[in-house]
Amino acid sequence: MSGAKLTWKDDLVAALLAGLVMVLLVATVGDLGYARDEGFYFHAADSYRRWFELLFANPRAAFEPKAIDSAWRVNSEHPGLIKSLFALSNLLLQKKWHLFAMEGTSYRFPAIFLAGAGVALVYRWGAEARGRIAGLFAAIALFCMPRFFYNAHLACFDVPIVTMFLLATYCFWKAMREGGRRWPIAAGLAFGLALDTKHNAWFLPILAVTFALLCLVRDRLTGGDTKETLRRAMAALGAMAVLGPLVMYALWPWIWRDTFARLGAYASFHLNHEYYNMEFFGRTYWTPPMPRLYAPVMTAATVPTVTLALFALGLGVRARARIQAFLRARAGKITRRDGGETDLFWLMAIGISYGAWVLPKTPIFGGTKHWMQAYPFIALFAGAGASWLVSVARVELRKLSAATIRRFARGPAAAMGLFAALLAAPIAETAASHPWGLSNYVPLVGGAKGAATLGLNRSFWGYTTGAVVDYLNREVPKSGTVYIHDTAWPSWEMLQKDGRLRKDIRGVGAVHEADFALYHHEQHMQGQEYQAWVAYGTVQPAHVAGLHGTPVIWIYRRKGR
Amino acid sequence: MKWPRVALGAFVALGIAELAGFFVTSRRKPDFSDWAALVAPVAEERKQGELVVVAPSWGEPLARQALGDEVFPLRDVARPDVSRYRAALEISAFGERSPELSGFRETGRREVGPFVIRRLENPSPAEVVFDFVDGLGPAQASVRTTNPEAECPWTTNARVIAGGLGGHPTFPAARFECPGGPFFNIGPTVIAADEAFRPRRCLFAHPPARGEVVTRFAGVPLGSVIRGHGGMYWIIERERKGAPVALAVRVDGEEIGRWEHRDGDGWAAFEMPLGVHAGKKSATVEFFVSSKNHAHRHFCFEADTR
Repeated sequence: MSGAKLTWKDDLVAALLAGLVMVLLVATVGDLGYARDEGFYFHAADSYRRWFELLFANPRAAFEPKAIDSAWRVNSEHPGLIKSLFALSNLLLQKKWHLFAMEGTSYRFPAIFLAGAGVALVYRWGAEARGRIAGLFAAIALFCMPRFFYNAHLACFDVPIVTMFLLATYCFWKAMREGGRRWPIAAGLAFGLALDTKHNAWFLPILAVTFALLCLVRDRLTGGDTKETLRRAMAALGAMAVLGPLVMYALWPWIWRDTFARLGAYASFHLNHEYYNMEFFGRTYWTPPMPRLYAPVMTAATVPTVTLALFALGLGVRARARIQAFLRARAGKITRRDGGETDLFWLMAIGISYGAWVLPKTPIFGGTKHWMQAYPFIALFAGAGASWLVSVARVELRKLSAATIRRFARGPAAAMGLFAALLAAPIAETAASHPWGLSNYVPLVGGAKGAATLGLNRSFWGYTTGAVVDYLNREVPKSGTVYIHDTAWPSWEMLQKDGRLRKDIRGVGAVHEADFALYHHEQHMQGQEYQAWVAYGTVQPAHVAGLHGTPVIWIYRRKGR
Repeated sequence: MKWPRVALGAFVALGIAELAGFFVTSRRKPDFSDWAALVAPVAEERKQGELVVVAPSWGEPLARQALGDEVFPLRDVARPDVSRYRAALEISAFGERSPELSGFRETGRREVGPFVIRRLENPSPAEVVFDFVDGLGPAQASVRTTNPEAECPWTTNARVIAGGLGGHPTFPAARFECPGGPFFNIGPTVIAADEAFRPRRCLFAHPPARGEVVTRFAGVPLGSVIRGHGGMYWIIERERKGAPVALAVRVDGEEIGRWEHRDGDGWAAFEMPLGVHAGKKSATVEFFVSSKNHAHRHFCFEADTR
């Protein structure tokens, strides 16, 4: 199961995959309401957009400290790169070129683009390291993880950091594998982009340094070229150390002044992040100790089981290959460099992505998205597993007596047949999860209904308001009032800007001031449902919506209105 | 070597099994539209005053939507517990059972599409003589504070206000209003009172800064005990930062019991024997609520005599 030397055809496949991902995401984005965090980033992006407008009109004024600070102070607890892309996309693609049917899509498009780029990169890396079948399977398997699919729509940082993390690790891997000047520089630039995307990038230096050290240990044990490995590692790590912070600095105007104080505040925000509420097996966790099993259980409950089983298979197949290679190297039977110890690197990338989330003090407010940068690597191992199964299928087909069947062993038929069998469930689950991505669970736990019975979180972020706009447009009287519950204000307003929600409907922040009350179900928010009962004199929801017969959002209507 | 072939077969089988599992779990009845089919059977099965419970509990909003307030009156949905009910109908889906009704005896069952309606009887229902939440109102109740001495007048058109997440429960329009602002009122509301965030109907009784708030019921027929529960929004008390709240009960001027609610207790029960007052046809019952530090003490209690 060796890698392929990539050609223009691989670039074409990668581009087609990226294009397909983007088309599918843009085609389905209109059904999806806006998550709370998106609302905050819309607000930030609008502030940055005004700065970009000033920059294009009057650069001197834009670089005035006052102009920079007033624009970039907004949401300065997160770096600026992705929100800058949201802003520029809105400014250029929407306000100038009117490319999208809805305003909100222009903010979401950069993340959608990066989702496409991430899937394409998974193909390239998989093909290069483990062959084209592995790469193609890994790319599709990643896209067909329902939670990844959901997050890939959003104007948030979670899928962008998946791509940036992947890009930085890929460049580092190439630098270790091929040496030279190009890849270390690329690794440094990619690390800078990741740093300016989300704080998950802080784990990259730990990953890279540890990996380099292990490569050196390997060389010592197997008689490898320690000097060359050290030279390559130093080049890549040096570039990351120098270029990474420079790129981050250059692309985040907020830290152009008071740099260390502002970086300190940014780091402090995340190192001392407040604890939110998250239901897990019927209990809402809101303060340490958090359950250590949350990340592994939620991964098993939300990533298609066949993908995870293939990941385990790929891991096993590659472990066997690595052990054999190591023993041969120790015996002096092979001298060729492996070129980066890919399996170890991928495994370490998974480990470091999950590492923080099995610690009892790490807040678990964000469901599965926090360790999502592990998913491309899980998909890559799954691709390796699928590729091995294809090779087994070909061997078995060759053994058959019928010549017409034996023929399938040579062409793509074996791979296509296996892909169909292995990807049908992930595709079906992902397609059916929309637009209820955070309510989706795999059949292993009984789907959405089974998860509700087990007491797993049904939804958060208030995005499902987008799923009840038809009811509101139909039932709310002219200029009527709706309690928006967990919907962020800018998210509510974006539904109105999009034309999805009638503009005369007035959102209000208190249930007693409204005629209709939204209730986004989360265990710790049930008190707000009870507030609606008493305020409206009824326990009967006027409308209930959700996934596969499982209620996720419901609406109360004041009696007589 | 056979194991590669076995692995190949196993993975193909797993892929197909997961696909089949997806179709089974995603199409498993009941769907949203199926709940409407319960209207006629529940109307036929349910006798006046019987409790209706849904298992699994996450299906309850769908049952409430289909069956309405008549089948799910607020006092039943936000019940203190099930001890007072003689019988209950359990609407069960997926073979789930309500743990709350585990002590009840099944006396009948009826299948309605994907549901099973089970008739359950309580082997030892409590005989509630008087419910103090139901009895709150100007006809039998009055409210006053002790420091300063002040009457809290009854109103039916107070401003309804709800506190949102982490705030206070909804203060209804009909309530006794004490001096000091809207927090200082006595009125029936619903709280999410423990770690399970179950709804509990109770009398909001925020202790005053000084002294006590006294809710007095006159002409109360008595059983042998006064029994009840107290608590506050779990989101507030789970912080375990607040002062204890004391609840003292007097019958015809004699204190029959004193109970304390500490943060973290959740929806906690109390029971006070009535002693010589037991069985009286008419008595005056007073509930005194106080706290050494009244900050964020959104205390709420329910009680009955049985």
